[in-house]
Amino acid sequence: MSMYQVNPVCGSLLKPDLPTCMYTLPNIHGQQGNSCTSDLCSEHALQNGEVDPAVKALEARQDEILRKLYDLKAAVDGLAKTVTTPDADLDLTVSSSLSSQSPSSTTFTGVTNLDTLLGKDLGALRDIVINANPAQPPLTLMVLHSVLCQRYRVLSTVHVHSSVSNVPPQLLSCLGPRHADSYARQMFQLGVTLIWKDVPKLQMKFSVQNMCPIEGEANVARFLFKLLSPYPSDAALATLVDSWVDMAFFQLAEGSAKERAAVLRALNSALGRSPWLAGQEFSLADMACYCCVLQSGPASSTPSNVQRWLKSCENLGHFSPAKPFLQ
Amino acid sequence: MTKDEVQGATEEEQAQSKKGLKKQQKEAEKAAKKAEKQSKLAADQQGSEEDDFAKDRYGVPPMVQSQQKLDRVLVRVEDLSPEKADQLIWLRARVHTSRAKGKQCFLVLRQQQFNVQALVAVGDRASKQMVKFAANITKESIVDVEASVRKVEQKIESCTQQDVELHIERIFVISQSEARLPLQLEDAVRPDGEGEEEGRATVNQDTKLDNRVIDLRTTTSQAIFRLQSGVCKLFRDTLTNKGFVEIQTPKIISAASEGGANVFTVSYFKTSAYLAQSPQLYKQMCICADFDKVFCVGPVFRAEDSNTHRHLTEFVGLDIEMAFSYHYHEVIDSITDTMVQIFKGLRDNFQTEILTVNKQYPSEPFKFLEPTLRLEYTEALAMLHQAGVEMGDEEDLSTPNEKLLGRLVKEKYDTDFYVLDKYPLAVRPFYTMPDPNNAKYSNSYDMFMRGEEILSGAQRVHDAQLLTERAMHHQIDLEKIKSYIDSFRYGAPPHGGGGIGLERVCMLYLGLHNIRQTSMFPRDPKRLTP
Repeated sequence: MSMYQVNPVCGSLLKPDLPTCMYTLPNIHGQQGNSCTSDLCSEHALQNGEVDPAVKALEARQDEILRKLYDLKAAVDGLAKTVTTPDADLDLTVSSSLSSQSPSSTTFTGVTNLDTLLGKDLGALRDIVINANPAQPPLTLMVLHSVLCQRYRVLSTVHVHSSVSNVPPQLLSCLGPRHADSYARQMFQLGVTLIWKDVPKLQMKFSVQNMCPIEGEANVARFLFKLLSPYPSDAALATLVDSWVDMAFFQLAEGSAKERAAVLRALNSALGRSPWLAGQEFSLADMACYCCVLQSGPASSTPSNVQRWLKSCENLGHFSPAKPFLQ
Repeated sequence: MTKDEVQGATEEEQAQSKKGLKKQQKEAEKAAKKAEKQSKLAADQQGSEEDDFAKDRYGVPPMVQSQQKLDRVLVRVEDLSPEKADQLIWLRARVHTSRAKGKQCFLVLRQQQFNVQALVAVGDRASKQMVKFAANITKESIVDVEASVRKVEQKIESCTQQDVELHIERIFVISQSEARLPLQLEDAVRPDGEGEEEGRATVNQDTKLDNRVIDLRTTTSQAIFRLQSGVCKLFRDTLTNKGFVEIQTPKIISAASEGGANVFTVSYFKTSAYLAQSPQLYKQMCICADFDKVFCVGPVFRAEDSNTHRHLTEFVGLDIEMAFSYHYHEVIDSITDTMVQIFKGLRDNFQTEILTVNKQYPSEPFKFLEPTLRLEYTEALAMLHQAGVEMGDEEDLSTPNEKLLGRLVKEKYDTDFYVLDKYPLAVRPFYTMPDPNNAKYSNSYDMFMRGEEILSGAQRVHDAQLLTERAMHHQIDLEKIKSYIDSFRYGAPPHGGGGIGLERVCMLYLGLHNIRQTSMFPRDPKRLTP
């Protein structure tokens, strides 16, 4: 018969091995490997080092849930993309509201670093100067500029050089309205200065000491595109993009009628195989070809695949800056 | 007399007589020659008096003292063109050159930048004596000429009027020039390189400046100063169209405005006074007096002992001051737009003058952007840093750095004119408004043409309290600027402005290398006349 019972103060005491052992305590060190793993599963190692099977089961369940979550996320991403692929049948108002939520973030993935591309930040505005002839406005660059503005804080200015006397007003406002903060150049990450000048070929200058000027709309477009997203790492795909860009600028924009027809046929067959020119993703190739196709003439005789692709490009909403110049 | 002496004497006598004979002979020859000359002259004179049927068609008439009012219309040389062919016209011009060739005399008649070939030929209208007279007219004399305009088959390359020449019927010398000129105009217009190559003379600058009246007659000088007049006119017109009011400020002032180091002192009755270094104070007072936007054109006196290619002790200052609403960039925009309108006006209306100047002083045409390029001081430091120049954050730009920066900007943006904004506060005068966000910087700016500074401007401190603090910080005697500070005590709008030097702007626009070329009668530490 016991006098009175008191609840044990320190719980989970292990049964001591009387009379040889006074009291036992759980082994606080446990097994080395197990104690180094994640904090989520705190291991209660038994004295002999084995893991409690209940905890193990809990961990397994947690892993399973996390995996399902990741799968779901990937599925949702995929769905989001299908909404903006050529197979979607949306009107422009819906897609424009989508595009206002920065389509660049969905269409241009990949990490770019301004410092590696443009050189060390010396505490001053990094200004890219583009000299263009007003007789040949560079539409691809205007489109690239508007996408750049969504990604970075860009200070855009348009100037007219003294070698040119009259420039139509729409060319003066082609980079959009003057930014409210344009009085403080230091506050911007990037500057784009467009100068309408009497030049034979479009020219870009950035760092006079370290870089030679870049000539030609195709090359400048490639440079600016790299500020948005890196070229595909697969060499074959990168070359494909490059060849489409060159075809756009040299044969579509400047070529004879025969060359243009040949390019349109090539575009048609390529677009029959994949939604975009370089596979599943919208790329610089699509941008350049869209601008050059529309610049080179009326869309009366364009093949069906090309027409469908043109519509889906428009659905993306990037090309509004180029619209006023395509009439 | 001894025998020897006698012999010696006779020898002497003989010698004397020999000498005497020789002397007599020589005298005889001389007399004969003289007589010959005289008879020839007499014969000539007789002949000239006999044959001179054109006596009344040339000569030196009495000095023009307004004896009579002739209704004669004088044609300008620049208007001589094939349209006037076969017309008989009168014109007044200078004799640039005259060259006799047998029975003809070729003259080049010059009027400001234009010249035309003229011809006096022996015929039924002109006599031999007239041709001789024309050939002897001294260079630079002013002549009245009646001539018929004739078309020429081959263009006369050496004249500005290349399609016509004048056949002179009457020629009178209105004002004769001395024969020896202190400098020759062809030499004054010759480009320096050409002079060295061909061994021909050029005139050095001091000689030109000492004889400015003649040097200003050259085509180059005429072109430069016509262009300068154009700059002034475009400045006035552009600002007037923007609603600015022209003011005149006093040049005799009681206190030195910008610190006191470089002022001229004049005696003023019983005390002394100073010649104004800039119209700064008075421009600002006008703004406080509600004139809103003002400009003034007037002389500026700087007693700087700088003997450089771009400093004068007296020059013409074109100054602007305006009140703004919220941001001093409104002032910068106004000033740069004025400058761009001036450049455009010169580009579109003064091409002849620019090309004339380029013949003697070749240079690159002036390029600019519209709207004007505006860079910040930090960007300039970054560009210089990339080019290898190490400069402190708050350091002022030295002249070589300014020139290097100008070259870098030209390479990147292809413009000869730009604005550098946000200068460090430490290097600006006490009345410059500090930057609101960064105490190191100020709301001030400089403008550059071809890498050289032409304008220094800023937002001014319009609050008397802050102005007093800034003055004390710069250790300026408050007593001396009391009236200046007082003008801001009764309500002053925020304002800013800047000033340019007319001569420097012209010099840099044309790509010249010395400011004395664009100042009519320059003043520098070593020159007080003409």
